[in-house]
Amino acid sequence: MLEIQHISKSFFRKIALDDVSLHLYPGEIFGLLGPNGAGKTTLIRIINQIIEADKGHIRFNGEWMSRHHLKNIGYLPEERGLYRNMTVESHAVFLGQLRGMSKKQVQTQLDYWLNKFEIVDWKNKRIEELSKGMAQKVQFICTVLHDPKLIILDEPLSGFDPINIELIKHEIVEMKAKGKTILLSTHNMKSVEEICDRAALIHQSKKIMEGKISDIREERKTGEFAVKFRGSMIAFVNALWTSFELTEKEILGDETFIARVKMRGDNTFEDLLRTLLGQVKIEAAWEVLPSMQDVFIDLVQPKKTSES
Amino acid sequence: MKNSWLIAKREWLERMRSSSFIGMALFGPLLILALLYFLFAYGGEGKQRWKVLIADPTGIMANKIVANEDNAMRYSFADGYIELEEFRDAKQFQEFDALIEINEKVLSNKTAFIFHREQPSVRMQTRLQFQLERRLEEVMIQRFTDLKVSEFRKIKQPLTIGFRNVYDPFDESKDIRGWAGFFFGGIIFLFLFLFGMTILRSVTVDKSNRIVEVLLASVNPNQLLAGKIIGVGLAAFVQFFVWFILVSIGLFVFRESLFPDLLDPANMNFVQLSEEMKQQSADLMPQHEYNSIVELVFDRIDFVTMTTYFLVFFVVGYLFYGAFFAAIGATVGSDSDGQQFILPLLVILSFALYAGYYSLSNPESDLAAFFHYLPFTSPVVVMVKLAQGYPTGQAYQLFIALLILGISAICVLFVAGRLYKNGILQYGHRVKLSLLWKWLKKM
Repeated sequence: MLEIQHISKSFFRKIALDDVSLHLYPGEIFGLLGPNGAGKTTLIRIINQIIEADKGHIRFNGEWMSRHHLKNIGYLPEERGLYRNMTVESHAVFLGQLRGMSKKQVQTQLDYWLNKFEIVDWKNKRIEELSKGMAQKVQFICTVLHDPKLIILDEPLSGFDPINIELIKHEIVEMKAKGKTILLSTHNMKSVEEICDRAALIHQSKKIMEGKISDIREERKTGEFAVKFRGSMIAFVNALWTSFELTEKEILGDETFIARVKMRGDNTFEDLLRTLLGQVKIEAAWEVLPSMQDVFIDLVQPKKTSES
Repeated sequence: MKNSWLIAKREWLERMRSSSFIGMALFGPLLILALLYFLFAYGGEGKQRWKVLIADPTGIMANKIVANEDNAMRYSFADGYIELEEFRDAKQFQEFDALIEINEKVLSNKTAFIFHREQPSVRMQTRLQFQLERRLEEVMIQRFTDLKVSEFRKIKQPLTIGFRNVYDPFDESKDIRGWAGFFFGGIIFLFLFLFGMTILRSVTVDKSNRIVEVLLASVNPNQLLAGKIIGVGLAAFVQFFVWFILVSIGLFVFRESLFPDLLDPANMNFVQLSEEMKQQSADLMPQHEYNSIVELVFDRIDFVTMTTYFLVFFVVGYLFYGAFFAAIGATVGSDSDGQQFILPLLVILSFALYAGYYSLSNPESDLAAFFHYLPFTSPVVVMVKLAQGYPTGQAYQLFIALLILGISAICVLFVAGRLYKNGILQYGHRVKLSLLWKWLKKM
């Protein structure tokens, strides 16, 4: 769908992107991760032809990317706004027409989305009459109104309440099911774990990681296991003795815990379960994978972690 | 181009719906009409009867000027030379309102000067010019041709007569038609400033509410810039059109209610004029005396020419100045920066207005000629010059000024496009010349 090949970009003497390559496949949700100032927005602007790359090129569906491909892209920028004195409908018509839609097509699509979000009565309201969250919903609708093949969302969840975050996440997953490709730039690592198929991390202008979310987490697992049990914590610790190491514990309720345990020597997960049987009542046990948040911090701040 | 048009349409509709636009469309013309009514009622009253001394030492005019007596004019002849200072100060000449010097040079240069104490009304100027021109024509026909007067008048060339204040012979500012041009120039100034500011506000609003990034994902910066300038320009055009219609209706109502007999040939008094004069004076000599402002507005301004060139110079001047305003809007990092950078542009625009006044006072000066071609000042100065009238065969100057303004507008639009493209996505920075230079160099 989108091949980003060796893109570099500098602003005067500051390097914003240094030889970044990415590949987005049709029908996937791709997470673009990175700390503030890493170059994510610059890359997104280059994809949207807002700024030009110094080096490298982009292919869209096998063709060299040019302005006429923009009609197939929906872009929700992080820094987004609307004309405050325009109505929701006139805004949708204006932005839809800029994306090549007819007025009639815009109205049909707008009705569909307003119905879907159950906000039909907002149609003739002026933007200044809407709350920030409401305006963000309108922005989301304007982004996908022209039924684009590639949807680029830069921090789409910021500013929403938890209910609306779930609503937007649900819509993103639904669009993926319809075959759309979604490039999601976000700092919300929980949502990356939940909805992204693959992700790349840009740090200090360079891509330092790319892959499937499950593979990324798998590669960085530390051999820790979690056990949810009912019983005495003292009995649990005594059972571990010198073969296993308790790294973390969480009290869930009355004599119910989740303990994280590391193996020592050649001990395995099966050995752990055998040791614990009869000492406590095991309710669940699983291998602990690092969260995307852990991966992010680990990659962006590796030295700080080791120094501390 | 389609996207530029969509941007322009949105801008245009937004302006048209704004209360300030509607207020300006109503109150602007009302203010002009109120001012005109005030001037009609109280302005420009001149002396109704003039005594004119003609110094004709060589007897060129043979002590004759008009066939019949004219109630508004009394001519006397002097057969010696009269120095200007003498006429101005000597007791025996104080009864005369004006001095006309006639000598051989007048016949060769076809230029005569009338030195007056008090500014003559347009009517009085017309009458003096007409009567003097007629008599000098007769003299020239007799001297240089074998033709009859009627035959000569079929092939005659105009005679230039300059009116000069006896107390300040080099002051040329009292040409009332020039003031009409200055008024048109002032309107251009007002429109350039108001709608230039509208462009600036529109660009800074896009930046501050961050919608510009959404727009730039569909249109390129040049299309966005073009759309903004066209949209706001169309709103300015509609504003001017409304002003034109309302002021025209107001003037029509004034004429019908206040001056019903103005320009009505049935009311003309031809008693004192010869048959031949009657024919050619019908459009200049109404019976009732109105002040010079009334005559200026209803009789002397060529509204078709002035309005046509007003629109042409407004459009090109708007592109020239509009690009500056858009560039400022795109390059500033915050609204307060915008206010700061408007000041130099306002000074330049005000200077254009002053240049118009300067050209009114010193139409023949080299500096006025420079202002006439300088793109910053030409939209105002050309209006003044156009109203004063270009000398025969020199109307091409207007088109040179237009060409320079047009080429300058293209150059400024190019530079503004660069600044706009590189500055529109920058927020919160401090504007420095070095930064602007970097943006200009950047493709």
